Amino acid sequence: MNAPISSFTPSVLAESAVARVSLAAPCARLSLRARGDLAPLNAALGLTLPTRIGQRAQSGESQALCLGPDEWMLHAPETLAAGMQAACDEVYGTLPHSLVDVSGREVTFVLDGPRAVDLLTLGMPRNPDSIAVGEGRRINFDGVTVLLWRDGETAFRMDVWHSFAPHLLHLLGTGVAELAAEAA
Amino acid sequence: MLLIHCPYCEETLPEAEFTYAGQAHVIRPENPSGQTDDQWEEFLFIRANPKGPHYERWRHFHGCGRFFNAVRDTVSDKFLTTYKAGAPRPDLSSLTEGLK
Amino acid sequence: MSQFRVAGKGRVDTGRPVTFTFDGKSYKGVQGDTVASALLANGVHLMGRSFKYHRPRGAVAAGSEEPNALVGTRRGKGRFEPNTRATVQEIWQGLETTSQNKYPSLKWDIGAVNDAAYMLFSAGFYYKTFMWPKNFWHKVYEPFIRAAAGLGVSPTEEDPDHYASRYLHCDVLIVGAGPSGLAAARAAAVDGLKVVLVDENPEAGGTLLSEPQAQIDGKPAWDWLAAEVEALKGLGVRIMTRTTAIGYYHQNMIGMVEKLTDHLPELPADTPRERMWRVRAGQVVLAQGALEKPLVFHGNDRPGVMLAGSAQTYLNRYGVLVGKKPVVLTAHDSAWYAAFDLADAGARVQAIVDTRDTVREDLLAAAQDRGIKVKLAHTATGTTGRLRVNSLRVNPVKGGTVGDGYTIACDAVLMSGGWTPSLHLFSHTKGSLTWDDDLTTFLPKDTPEDCVIAGASRGLWGIEAVLNDGAEKGREVAAALGKAPATMAYAVEADRPGTGTTHKELPTDRSPGKAKAFVDYQNDVTAKDLRLAVREGMRSIEHVKRYTTNGMATDQGKMSNINGLNIAADALGKKQPQVGLTTFRPPYTPTSFGAFAGYHRGEHFEVTRKTQIDGWAEENGAVFEPVGQWRRAWYFPKAGEDMDAAVRRECVATRKSLGIFDASTLGKIEVKGPDAVEFMNRMYTNPWTKLAPGRCRYGLLCGDDGFIRDDGVIGRLSDDCFHVTTTTGGAARVLNMMEDYLQTEWPDLNVWLTSTTEQWSTVALNGPNAAKLLGGLVEGVELTDETFPHMSCVECTVAGMPARLFRISFTGEIGFEVNVPAPMGRKLWETLWEAGQQYGICAYGTETMHVLRAEKGYIIVGQDTDGTVTPYDAGMGWAVGKNKPDFVGMRGLARPDLVAPGRKQLVGLLTDDQSRLEEGAQIVFDPNQPVPMKMVGHVTSSYHSDAVGRPIALALVEGGHDKMGETVHIPMPDRTIAAKITSTIFVDPENARLKI
Repeated sequence: MNAPISSFTPSVLAESAVARVSLAAPCARLSLRARGDLAPLNAALGLTLPTRIGQRAQSGESQALCLGPDEWMLHAPETLAAGMQAACDEVYGTLPHSLVDVSGREVTFVLDGPRAVDLLTLGMPRNPDSIAVGEGRRINFDGVTVLLWRDGETAFRMDVWHSFAPHLLHLLGTGVAELAAEAA
Repeated sequence: MLLIHCPYCEETLPEAEFTYAGQAHVIRPENPSGQTDDQWEEFLFIRANPKGPHYERWRHFHGCGRFFNAVRDTVSDKFLTTYKAGAPRPDLSSLTEGLK
Repeated sequence: MSQFRVAGKGRVDTGRPVTFTFDGKSYKGVQGDTVASALLANGVHLMGRSFKYHRPRGAVAAGSEEPNALVGTRRGKGRFEPNTRATVQEIWQGLETTSQNKYPSLKWDIGAVNDAAYMLFSAGFYYKTFMWPKNFWHKVYEPFIRAAAGLGVSPTEEDPDHYASRYLHCDVLIVGAGPSGLAAARAAAVDGLKVVLVDENPEAGGTLLSEPQAQIDGKPAWDWLAAEVEALKGLGVRIMTRTTAIGYYHQNMIGMVEKLTDHLPELPADTPRERMWRVRAGQVVLAQGALEKPLVFHGNDRPGVMLAGSAQTYLNRYGVLVGKKPVVLTAHDSAWYAAFDLADAGARVQAIVDTRDTVREDLLAAAQDRGIKVKLAHTATGTTGRLRVNSLRVNPVKGGTVGDGYTIACDAVLMSGGWTPSLHLFSHTKGSLTWDDDLTTFLPKDTPEDCVIAGASRGLWGIEAVLNDGAEKGREVAAALGKAPATMAYAVEADRPGTGTTHKELPTDRSPGKAKAFVDYQNDVTAKDLRLAVREGMRSIEHVKRYTTNGMATDQGKMSNINGLNIAADALGKKQPQVGLTTFRPPYTPTSFGAFAGYHRGEHFEVTRKTQIDGWAEENGAVFEPVGQWRRAWYFPKAGEDMDAAVRRECVATRKSLGIFDASTLGKIEVKGPDAVEFMNRMYTNPWTKLAPGRCRYGLLCGDDGFIRDDGVIGRLSDDCFHVTTTTGGAARVLNMMEDYLQTEWPDLNVWLTSTTEQWSTVALNGPNAAKLLGGLVEGVELTDETFPHMSCVECTVAGMPARLFRISFTGEIGFEVNVPAPMGRKLWETLWEAGQQYGICAYGTETMHVLRAEKGYIIVGQDTDGTVTPYDAGMGWAVGKNKPDFVGMRGLARPDLVAPGRKQLVGLLTDDQSRLEEGAQIVFDPNQPVPMKMVGHVTSSYHSDAVGRPIALALVEGGHDKMGETVHIPMPDRTIAAKITSTIFVDPENARLKI
């Protein structure tokens, strides 16, 4: 596969009777780092940043996933990114932080289908049960660091840096077919 | 593959999410330029190599990204404990008590 | 039906014949057969030749422990596997198999001359026979050993199959689906516990498959088995067959290999051949059963001599009589039952020869009922038959004296030297063992893992005993997981209790020096070899093992370890536990490389990272090179150009007008926060406080030892924000190092690091026309030396795209690096490419980049430095802040070795004969000194330079900075090249070309 993953239109990339991998529409992705009393940022973002690693919060179409003791990934519609940036800049004086636009850095694969969990076991050493529905984690998948959002029992999103995406898609595509053959 | 408890995530997770980061409690001096050659050599190069409990650092690289400390028995390869960076060195006798 | 197939016996489907070939000859078997059972059904015992002596061999076992019957299997192009055990390979229509270690044929083998020359091949022959004369080694011994050594032949074609791997998490993993494993699963499958039951065989049942006579809780064994398997599935137990637990690793991680297609006539689409399972279990039950031991006597390896329990398995599981006139030779009760089963199936059992003086009355009576002769207190001293046994020589033993021998005609010898608990996986856990004098074997004791061992693998015997033990162990692990399982008890009728005695080699009336009494069949190790090893000074069992190679074959000593230990202990005059057991190591059975590689082969071998512009490069004929995980465009040859020609053209075009280069792989880190500048001051050698926002500086990163780690241009975007670039290969390492210092040394600093390597696509424009091209596309800044001088940075718009624009140069020409959000990278590139046509824009790759920077003396970290080079060694003392209180590497740079004279320093080299030096070539001062010469440095970079008009080189040379103009010498295989030391800057030392 020669074309970069970013040149793909959001669509199904691999599919079988038991599992499916699609490319999500682009969105704004902001890496937020801060510590101390988060109230000013909560106010600026209009959501309460979760403080337990793996927890998520949502407000409208914006979502936050706590990745570390002072780290969050924010996803939002592209149109909202500039406003979020500006609102956070406003409170920088009271709560210094780092907000970096990484929208161009990665893509999101959506994994679903009855055997989506088994699909993850092709590359994820961690127990899938350790990520509850509605949570997320930064994990190791086939040796690559990715973010995994668990949206349902069998529905996941996987955020992947561009240059790793073809490699992981190759594995996921193999798994989608393999799991279907197994079910047949 | 070992299981490692990340003191920040408060989860016990496969070693594949972690990277090793050398001996723990090797503190970079406040004023390196005030160090003698011998002291600086000690800081840079001299490391313990115990048979038994070893204070060491790990990083939850494919996870929360934090560096943290651990005591691992180099004979059994078992972790006796893990604790956050900056926390005091745990007392060995309390860790080795309940062991076989 | 085949000659040796017994109607009404076995679990095979005689209504479904299957044809396969062995050494080109076609044979008929039936569905459910293994290669071995099908050949035996056809009366074929001769299945291979041994490894060292090329002795004819047949199957001695019926399972994965088989040492002899190794075959090659083939399924069309690329699908050839050597050393497959015929006893586990299931047959399918069209399977091709071949025997091994034979030439020209299995029946007439030239290598069998080794058998006659066996004196040469005794224990330690590798170390003794081939030592002298010395010059014989290369020409005679090594080729001979290479020709003779090795099992089977390696496949030569690429394996077209796909291999897979998965992680699996469960509460309880049970290894072995025999009676104890089944009972353990039943007991543990309570209250939602996730239980996995795994077995290497195609079906669950273990020993029950060979003992249909048993009645479990009133049901015939096979009916009970079928119902139990269904019941377990109903309880949610996952039963995995054809899956071998190969290794037990730390904290209950078990490696398992599942074979998915080797038994199928047609390969299903999208199905891997094998799958590696990495299982993490809360609790593990090991229920691997026991393995039968051979008896060690002269001629115990002749085809037709096999384990009694295996003969019973061939009969009851496959419906195959291994002989019509078998003789049974045993030291254990179990073989008596094998004799009875074969007799009841129509075999004329010639005799039961038992080494013991007394045997249970009921066994004697049962033999008498069947008219079988019984010989107690006998030993065996030989067999005859060229390719198949036709007689067994036995002798009475009285008071330790071996009496006169006599022969018993037979077509098979069914032997039993008793049973060894299978402790392989238990030993992988570093579990301790304890010697049991009554059973004359090691039994499991303690293990550091959350693991229990059940049934025959802990020395129990009889189906009832192991069922009840399995149930107990299943309860135990469920309880350990916080559950309260009910107790269960099984009652078994027609069970076959048994005991036995254990031997070293059997006593004989022959000269022990001439006896070929095999202990390790696969490695051709005899009892005599083991005794010789002890006589020659081996004391540790580990030394005996290595000297003789006992237990080192692919079967890992499954049959030979305890027999070998008994003999070695006897030779040493010690008890077995004082001698100790050799270590069992993973894998339990031979495992394919494919299973270990899994998905990581071919294109998926490892990650290949590509930039957003990679596609353009490929479409435009780029040749690529790997840099770290990235593949980068190396050069862009036009038709007829080789690499040199392409690179020269790219260099000339860039210096003359305009070059474009994909620099997206450069590592990028956003350093943000109120303490950003303080962090930069502490991290990099350079001072940052006075760098104004909108300006850039070349940054040098050292370790605390003072050596260069990385470098890159760093732009200050605002007071609190730096855009740091790193080398392509160093990106992850540098970020890790920075995080390390920040988190553990300076947690008080209010600053954060974010990797933006892939946030940006970076396009470098270099050449006299760079500003002219870019000027028309940039909004927000005017590209003049006054408004945007060299080493400036700005956030602006380029061709309508949001951009971070840097005016920097890695070529010595006017240079810019344009960063746009990564997905826009190709659009930016193509826009610049189109607009640049008026300037004859030239795409260049990493090689041209290397040449252009070398002409300017810019270093490549990792090429011109090697982890022992300081900024001063590299001639970059100017990058070291002299007035900072501290930075990483500052104290290190004052270390005695780093300030001592005579360090290797980076210099330029120009060869006297204008030849191009080889990178890595060693340098000497005096070419006439005697060899070995004192080497004083090496060439780090070397290129042809059109700008200079001759080849140039960079080199690290001892004291080089003080040797400008002096001549050094580079000895090469064919000649010695002289070169003058020069400055590292070959082009435009005044930097005049940087002006717009």
